[in-house]
Amino acid sequence: MNDWKRILIAVDNTPTSRKAIRYAANIIGRLEEARIHLLHIYPEPPPGYYSSGRSLDDYVEEKDREGGDIFADAVLTLQEAGITEQTITTECRMAEHRTISQTILAVQKEGRYGTIVVGKRGVSKAEEFLFGSISNALLHHGRDVAIWVVG
Amino acid sequence: MAEYTTANSLPPGIAERLRGHRVTRSMRRRSRVFTDTTDFTAIDYGDVIVVDERYFLVVAYTKEGRFGVDEQIKPWVPKVEELATGEKKILKLVFHETFDITLGPFTIPCYRHPEKEARVLELVRGHSHFMQGEAALDGAGNLVRILDIINGSRLDKFIHRSGAPLEEYFHHELPAILTQFLECLQAISFLHSHGFRHGDIRRDHILVERGSGLYRWIDFDYDFYLPERPFALDLYELGNILMYLTVRGNFYPRDIAADPALGRRVLDTIGPGDYSLLSKNRIVNLKKLFPFIPMELNNIFLHFSQGTEVFYETVDELHDDLAAALATMDHGDTGGGR
Repeated sequence: MNDWKRILIAVDNTPTSRKAIRYAANIIGRLEEARIHLLHIYPEPPPGYYSSGRSLDDYVEEKDREGGDIFADAVLTLQEAGITEQTITTECRMAEHRTISQTILAVQKEGRYGTIVVGKRGVSKAEEFLFGSISNALLHHGRDVAIWVVG
Repeated sequence: MAEYTTANSLPPGIAERLRGHRVTRSMRRRSRVFTDTTDFTAIDYGDVIVVDERYFLVVAYTKEGRFGVDEQIKPWVPKVEELATGEKKILKLVFHETFDITLGPFTIPCYRHPEKEARVLELVRGHSHFMQGEAALDGAGNLVRILDIINGSRLDKFIHRSGAPLEEYFHHELPAILTQFLECLQAISFLHSHGFRHGDIRRDHILVERGSGLYRWIDFDYDFYLPERPFALDLYELGNILMYLTVRGNFYPRDIAADPALGRRVLDTIGPGDYSLLSKNRIVNLKKLFPFIPMELNNIFLHFSQGTEVFYETVDELHDDLAAALATMDHGDTGGGR
């Protein structure tokens, strides 16, 4: 089992993600020696993206910028809970030939994170079937890791 | 305006074959020779398309009908004859199209993806459950797919051939059909294992080859954008085909109400959980309509219902459940409801 105080928080720009960060911040703020990795994973470009004359570099740049805004907001929340900036790292990555949940688990494995924190949207069965639920996929496929699902 | 040349630009042997061809002999105009298929609408019956130094005479166009809609000509998919060999082929010309499909309250971005179809054709070369063909560039760099013609019938028409009553069909014809369909599932699993979706799984996209009786998938140029569940739509459509094959149709409340053998008595037993997960008005708990359907088979259908608690994650899971259900079908399970 990886060190549970090495905590990976998967973030995006949804209210549930911000809720998960606040929840995690309140717990982690009381811990010593916790290390936090904020991770924003985004999908490959949608169909038609390139035909509008834009490039993959444009897409990555756009997503990195969005990720930067999400991280700035998340770092502020974590700092308000007493977590120092030195213990926080960030990473923005495209899910290349993988799903978002598979990419989160790959980062978790590479970085030997013992805890994943993720928000949970309330989705219908039909939505889950078609579009998936990242939190459910993490619970289903995660190994050697504690997963905090914040609904 | 698309550029073309006259038949004088053709090699002498090819030009001679063109002159003697029944299609050109019956034409009032001269054939044109296209090396650039970008504007495929400019190409017409009797014209020649040149791809990779091969010469294809347009002899007809393919048609496609959405169910319940009249068949429409697909100008980007001409039927051709290769002038050097006399072999009949289908060409698929590049047609970039992006659109949304609607499933219940959801929209899914879909698009035509010629490169993907070319890669799939390469992957499935020699695989007996897929159409065969190759891709080559025309003079303007368009990726033209040159497809072998499958001589056979659409699966959704094939299953109606005998005209047997449904229960008789179910017991005597369906097991053989599902045995073949299992191989179709394995074929799609093969695609998925290589990271490809079929992209347009429909009951008329399986052809039953005359002679061999093989079921073969056709048309791979659609793709869709579902980043977290990349194969979900293929899976959903496989479930739809399976249900269609089982009862030779789709069933909606109005059909049941109008059927003297079913009527209100059966319709009143249908609850919200018995309907399709994504086509809200279609009944998938088919055992309530046709009690002769074995529980094992019906349980597969219920994975695609609004009442389901579990989904199929992979085609292999669906395949294995169907193989198990098929093994029970000879026993004539006529047990109760869900």
